[in-house]
Amino acid sequence: MAEIVEANSKMKQRSLFSRVNGRKIREYLTGYLFIAPAVTLIFIFGIFPVGFALYVSLHKWRLKQGAFIGLKNYVSGIGNLAYLAAFILALLAFVGAYLLVRSQQKQGVTGRQWLHLIPALVQAGAVLALLRWGVILLPEFLGIADKLRKLERTQEVFMRLLGETLWAEQVAAAFFVFISLAAGGLILGWLVRKFIGDKKTFQRQSMFAFAWTSLAVGGILIWFTFKEIAGVYAAALEAGTDPGVWPQVVTIGSGFILIGLAWLFWKSAEKRVGSKVFWWRILAAFVLMVGGWLLIGEIPTILASGDPDLWEGLKVTIYFSMFTVPFQLAISLFLSVLLFQKIWGSNAFRIIYFLPYVTPAVASAAIFRQIFSARETAPANLLLKSLGAEPLRWLFEPKGVFSIIANGMGVDWPAWAAGPSLALTVIILHSVWTYVGYDTVIYLAGLGNISKELIDAAAVDGANKWDTFWYIIFPLLSPTTYFLSLIAIIGTFKAFSTIWIFRDSMALGTTDTFSVTIFIEFFEKLRYGYASALSFVLFAIILILTVANNRIQGSRVFYG
Amino acid sequence: MAKQTKSLLKRNGSAKVVTYVILIIGALISLIPFVWMISTSLKSLGEALGSSFFPSELHFENYVEAWKRARFSEYFINSIIIAAITLTGEVTFSILAAYAFARIKFPGRDFIFGVLLSTMMIPAMVNIIPNFLTVTWLGRIGPLKWINNWPALTVPFMGSVFSIFLLRQFFAQIPDELFDSAQLDGAGHFRFLWQIAVPLSKASIMVIVVLSFIGTWNSLAWPMLVTNTPDWRPISVGLMNFVQEAGQHINLTMAGAFITIVPIVVIYFFTQRQFTESIARSGLKG
Repeated sequence: MAEIVEANSKMKQRSLFSRVNGRKIREYLTGYLFIAPAVTLIFIFGIFPVGFALYVSLHKWRLKQGAFIGLKNYVSGIGNLAYLAAFILALLAFVGAYLLVRSQQKQGVTGRQWLHLIPALVQAGAVLALLRWGVILLPEFLGIADKLRKLERTQEVFMRLLGETLWAEQVAAAFFVFISLAAGGLILGWLVRKFIGDKKTFQRQSMFAFAWTSLAVGGILIWFTFKEIAGVYAAALEAGTDPGVWPQVVTIGSGFILIGLAWLFWKSAEKRVGSKVFWWRILAAFVLMVGGWLLIGEIPTILASGDPDLWEGLKVTIYFSMFTVPFQLAISLFLSVLLFQKIWGSNAFRIIYFLPYVTPAVASAAIFRQIFSARETAPANLLLKSLGAEPLRWLFEPKGVFSIIANGMGVDWPAWAAGPSLALTVIILHSVWTYVGYDTVIYLAGLGNISKELIDAAAVDGANKWDTFWYIIFPLLSPTTYFLSLIAIIGTFKAFSTIWIFRDSMALGTTDTFSVTIFIEFFEKLRYGYASALSFVLFAIILILTVANNRIQGSRVFYG
Repeated sequence: MAKQTKSLLKRNGSAKVVTYVILIIGALISLIPFVWMISTSLKSLGEALGSSFFPSELHFENYVEAWKRARFSEYFINSIIIAAITLTGEVTFSILAAYAFARIKFPGRDFIFGVLLSTMMIPAMVNIIPNFLTVTWLGRIGPLKWINNWPALTVPFMGSVFSIFLLRQFFAQIPDELFDSAQLDGAGHFRFLWQIAVPLSKASIMVIVVLSFIGTWNSLAWPMLVTNTPDWRPISVGLMNFVQEAGQHINLTMAGAFITIVPIVVIYFFTQRQFTESIARSGLKG
């Protein structure tokens, strides 16, 4: 009797268990099903394009795919700096691999657990094989469209062509390599898990696989760059010229290393303030800094061999950033502090300030184009006239704004300090006008998070309004300021629509920011490969700006 | 004591006046371009090129002419259709994905979400060239035309990381008890989502609808690439072409600008509270 009950309960347990398991699997499937449409679309139009753009940027690609030309697109953009960038990327990959392994070590990987490294190596191989399969498959896939042109476009024909493409000898071979490596990696991983009995197998093996992949990518990059430079030298030998790649790469590379060392010295000096060592370290940091700076000073000569349009675009973008962001932030901070008081109609003011931000950029730019038109009767010129000044040509004026002001007052002005062109100044005004409302709303939210007691306490202690603002409100707002400045700087680097509308050939390209330069290469000159390379340069600049902003401002942000 | 208070009051009073003056000047600067646009759009061409600020007589026929001659009627309808298709797809897909990321447990969930979030850093200029190639390719292999047709203008924007992120935050805030009791009543994820989670987060879905509508309405670079005939040209591209081609007729271009702005401003006024709040919140968190 007792046995039957036991068996019965066992069976019950079992069926319950399988039911739970089935439910779990159904839950998983529901999850995957729910995210499938969005994730598929984001993959096709958001993630895959990054790899595709990289692929395009390594080819001669004018409307149609041409030959593989390696880093040439990058070199014609930023000169020999491209090689240096590749080396730095490789170094970063090595450092990343090292950091991953060390983080695992810190999390207590010891003794036999290091065996995870072996299956991870095979798994990393599988990842790389998958990538290789993708790279081999991509041009074949693109070719389907050409093959289809002469044929009838039915589903059958397409499926047949798709099958042919997927099972083409090279493609299938690459796929087989991937499958066998993946299967091998999984089996090996399972065996190692059985052998050690580690509960964190999945996490450890994936981290190690990541580290191996990173290491391999770094190695491939170095090998690839090395081969590229060797090719350049071979070509130069034939032509009898010296491309000077190595000396430049070595000089500038060591310049960066010296600056990095200087930074390390500086950091270590901070810990020993007041001792003799402190001064020695500061001195060493200073010397290294100067040395590094001198070596990096080589950069302009390299850049001279790059694309002048690109450097002009970068200069315009920096002007745009430099003159837009501070004004925008200062004005909106000022307005938000005023609006934060108890004021009649504060909501109405907020709505009005925000209006330019929601207005379609095309429309507001069209309005500004007319207000700042070169006609003598345009509103901006009428305003100048009422102030007793000569009318200006605004958006058609490539001359720098400072030199225009100085010349207007009869002063000679040096060309290097001419500032942004008058045309760009109009765009800057439009940009400030547009974004002040947005920044104000976010500053208001930031002000709302500051506790009232703190401000009341300051008032009780006899602080006047200015002191309260400067010593309490402004520091407490630093996270908001940090966030807004980051968004604004990145925004100026991405800005396209408005500038495209303001753009006029009369301004002689003084309004073409980096993004616009890329778009022109792509849209008007149809140089897809080159434009893709430039877009990665833009990406790199945005990343560097984010990290630099993080380092410089991040340490000063006060999060309360 | 009383004297002190009085002087303080007085100072506060004058400070208030200064505050108001500054705020009103700011508001005027924000509004004057719009006022100028409306007044110019009502002028005759001769007057529009002249120096008076207000029109001497109102030429409402400018709007009719812009609407017809500059094909704003077509562009306007194009933009509405494009926005409707994009929004339907985007909102549906985002709700589903956001719900899964917030409330369903499956292996690799946080990893996938992390990958999605990291794509927000990629500048649009990197994606624009390969996406153009992809869309061209899709149009050439499939039965559906993509370039100069609605798919190229809508499908790439139906998967939006930002919308998923925003909605996930709201879905994650729904108390677990609600879900547990719904499950006891026999409701699965799908029913819980449509009957409880979605009605609860109407406000945040509204925010996504408004933000995406504005984004679609304002987008320029991509529609410029994938439309080379007026058939599917959205209003932003139409206005830009009109400004560049008929730049002399500034009364008509300003009427066109007005037509472009109106839907956005109307939507903004109706939803401004949720709008500014959501921007303040998502801005600070994002």
